[in-house]
Amino acid sequence: MNALVQLENVTKRYDSGVAPAVADVSLAVGPGEAVAIMGPSGSGKSTLLNLIAGMDRPTSGTVRVGDQRVEKLSETGVARFRRRQVGMIFQFFNLLDDMTVLDNVLLPAQLAGLRSGAARKRAEELLVTLRIAHRRDAYPARLSGGERQRVAIARALVNRPAVLLADEPTGAVDSATGEEIGALLLELNSSGQTLIMVTHNAELADRYTHRVIELADGRVASDLAARP
Amino acid sequence: MSAVIHAARGGLGGRRLQAVIIGLVALAATAASTLALGMLVDSHSPFDHAFAAQHGAHVTAAVDTSVATSAQLAATTRLPGVTASAGPFATVSVTAKVSQPGIPGTRPYPLQIVGRPSAGGPVDQLTLDSGHWARGNGQIVLSRDVAGDLGSATITVGSQKLTVVGIANSVTNTAQAWVAPSEAALLGGSGRGQAQMLYRFANAGTSSAIAADIAAVRAALPHGALQDTASYLSVRQSEQSDIAPWVPFIIAFGVIALVISVFIVVNVVSGAVIAGTTRIGVLKSIGFTPAQVVASYVLLVAVPALVGCVAGAVCGNLLAIPLLKQNAQVYEVGVLGIPYWVDVAVPLAVLALTAAGAVPPALRAGRMSAVQAIATGRAPRPRHGYLAHRMLARLTSAPRAVTLGLAAPAARPARTLVTAAAIVFGAAAVTFGVGLAHSLDKAFAETSTASSLPVQVSAPPPAPPAGAPSSKGGGKVGRMGMTAAQQRTVISALAAQPGTRRYLPETDEDLSLPGLGDHVSVTAYGADPSWSGLALITGRWYSTSSNAPEVVVNTLFLTDTGTSVGSTYTVNSGGHRTTVRIVGEVFQPGNDVDIYMSPATLAAVDPGAGIQSYAVALQPGTNAQAYANALSAALGNSYSVETHSRGGTELVAVVTLIAMLTILIMIVAGLGVLNTVALQIRERAHDIGVFKAIGMTPRQTLTMIVCSVGLVGLVAGIVAVPAGVYLHHGVIPTMAHAANSGIPPSLLSVYTPWTIILLALSGLVIAVVGALGPAAWAARTRTAFALRAE
Repeated sequence: MNALVQLENVTKRYDSGVAPAVADVSLAVGPGEAVAIMGPSGSGKSTLLNLIAGMDRPTSGTVRVGDQRVEKLSETGVARFRRRQVGMIFQFFNLLDDMTVLDNVLLPAQLAGLRSGAARKRAEELLVTLRIAHRRDAYPARLSGGERQRVAIARALVNRPAVLLADEPTGAVDSATGEEIGALLLELNSSGQTLIMVTHNAELADRYTHRVIELADGRVASDLAARP
Repeated sequence: MSAVIHAARGGLGGRRLQAVIIGLVALAATAASTLALGMLVDSHSPFDHAFAAQHGAHVTAAVDTSVATSAQLAATTRLPGVTASAGPFATVSVTAKVSQPGIPGTRPYPLQIVGRPSAGGPVDQLTLDSGHWARGNGQIVLSRDVAGDLGSATITVGSQKLTVVGIANSVTNTAQAWVAPSEAALLGGSGRGQAQMLYRFANAGTSSAIAADIAAVRAALPHGALQDTASYLSVRQSEQSDIAPWVPFIIAFGVIALVISVFIVVNVVSGAVIAGTTRIGVLKSIGFTPAQVVASYVLLVAVPALVGCVAGAVCGNLLAIPLLKQNAQVYEVGVLGIPYWVDVAVPLAVLALTAAGAVPPALRAGRMSAVQAIATGRAPRPRHGYLAHRMLARLTSAPRAVTLGLAAPAARPARTLVTAAAIVFGAAAVTFGVGLAHSLDKAFAETSTASSLPVQVSAPPPAPPAGAPSSKGGGKVGRMGMTAAQQRTVISALAAQPGTRRYLPETDEDLSLPGLGDHVSVTAYGADPSWSGLALITGRWYSTSSNAPEVVVNTLFLTDTGTSVGSTYTVNSGGHRTTVRIVGEVFQPGNDVDIYMSPATLAAVDPGAGIQSYAVALQPGTNAQAYANALSAALGNSYSVETHSRGGTELVAVVTLIAMLTILIMIVAGLGVLNTVALQIRERAHDIGVFKAIGMTPRQTLTMIVCSVGLVGLVAGIVAVPAGVYLHHGVIPTMAHAANSGIPPSLLSVYTPWTIILLALSGLVIAVVGALGPAAWAARTRTAFALRAE
């Protein structure tokens, strides 16, 4: 398999006196895969996702996304990498409260310097695809949890990233909305979008991903195909 | 109570940057205010204290005793409004022959001597510095000024040899020397009698009140009896004028620093309390009462503020030392220091101000429920700025990082306004400081002939012929003029010397004129006086060809004589009188009375005056020193060729002080911006993390944060320029007034369009420099770390 995301012997240690958050992890994710990363609190799931996104740097090991060595990039380089290669979805949405839905979705494209017309067209398309076009001028505070997460997904996809990273995407919504978000992610994956999702929800992982990686104490405890 | 102290101490430990900013702001505010207030107090009090102690004369009057009788003079002491009086004391103007130890020969010295029976009395109780009062004929008591000038000299007046028996001081300089009344009668001989009357009035606080008092005395005497009067206000102004010109701008800078500090303190303190709201919630949840919460948060602000205030008071005193040393010399009061009450009141006021800034937000936080405080503190979301974000998001021509930054000030409009106000004051200080430095540069240039006439040629005076009679009649102290042969030699050398543009024959005399103090400086130019480069405030230069004698005088002359441009004035010196018309007011600030006249007019007052030197203007590009060297070689050792450079050291010192104060204020304003940006970053740390997570580069982060205050700075700078110019136009005339002068219009015309444009950018510079530190920190922060921020 030609891996899109490849981690080799990655360790992340925050303090020298304590156990590493991620310890000697190696894994590979191919294009179009949908992978769930599971594990108890403090097992290193979110840290692993941050390392893939370049939001944090490993203490040792290599992180490769596409043809880029993420840990070697400068802060500017890693920001540019995130714009083009990675879309991030967070548990608590992380939308910007003082911007409208449309402005939130447009922002990554604008930061990437995309032409205004093209960016707007792409954002409008995504809002339609994610069924929130009717709320394009609303502020996040007026949206439901599901709507907010759909806006966050639209924002993550606006630059057509190679990989979509989702950190507990259903953690802050009710179960029905969680189902809806899961289905949406599956739909995106079906259209070829590579997805790496951190979740506590084993059922969600089984239903909406192809592969489940279990972490325990920062190490890969298991790496199995999802149950059909 | 210990719980409150523990809570405050814990809070301080976790907010070092905030504590440092509060401390620095308190320090700057206290130092600037201590300096300004201390200077202000000390610039006024020494004279007033001395005047009160001596029961000084509000008005010193010179009366002609051949016109007014003793009874008429006595009647003036009973006029309504006169609270005390002394005199008449016989007054004589003489030219004494002074012989000083170690210096061969004697020199003439004009003296105004008053005959007084004692140093005491109801008015003008003289301070006897040393020796005793004149007990009989042949004894003289010198004033402090004259004693400093003459040292232990032997003084001879006519055939009378006078022994100096004491040194005394009159706060209003009522005489240069005193003798016993019988000695005054001897010195005065049989000429027209003049006497001195000293008055104190019930109403003497203003110039107009003094003028009314003088008018009442004048009206009570026969016409022409009252020859001259001197107001204590003029003396006070004159005494203070050495340091006084610098006081207005120091106060202006001090007030600006204080106002900026107020703005910053309010921002820092309210921001500190807002930032600590979560902690307030936690404290309440573990049992702190609202009062304890408020107390702990006021302490959190008050402790660094107290440290800053104490350090600021020390700094203010240290900064004041060199300035007050100069002040003390002016007043001859030994050592001057910042008054204790200023050292106590200013830090307390700044501390109170800081506490006042802390209490309202702390009270608000104290009233919140624990849950509400924790929630508010975790997500202190601004409720404003949505529209700005929306509008600016549509501005697709600008980079998104820029528009994000530009929208940020709308999120906290009150904080933005306070920050803008701090930048306005900072940029206004820059505008003011730049204009002030330019004006002072012009003032130094326009009060000196060094720029226009940089070379001066003179010759040593010829030896007086043996047995020649000494000058009699007194009233003038002057150098001997050149001989006709010397003049021809110099003119010939100047004509032959390459680089000579033109030259002005010059005569400088010191005349003693009744009512105008000790030494009146008279300058006569033998050609077009406008070549001197001295600036005129009003009127024109005297005409050398006019038959009617004309003079140009400085402002102090007009003030002291109550004349104006267009008036006539009778110059009465050494027995020679001539009436002149005042045609111009020259810019010559200071304590000296200056008169400029043609050589012909001077000859009418001082027939013996001759050309003493030639002031030379050079062709453009001519090096003054090289020219002087060449001219000196051509003239030989019998002539002195000097170059003049305009008051370099003093100008550099003052401009350096202005630059230091301006930079200090810019730093304080920049500190305000730094604080605002630090608060903004703290509040928006999570958002910054989100920006980074979706691809904002460090450069874009830096741009966004700098732009968040850049526009505010730019607008503030534009607003500040007219404010600074207005301040400049107010302070420069005040400074000139303190130096006993008006100002020529050129002193205010220092702002060129390019200067204004550059100054308008000073607000932007303050904002950008202030924001760069925290912006760079935010740009460097790891995304994951920022996202974890609450």
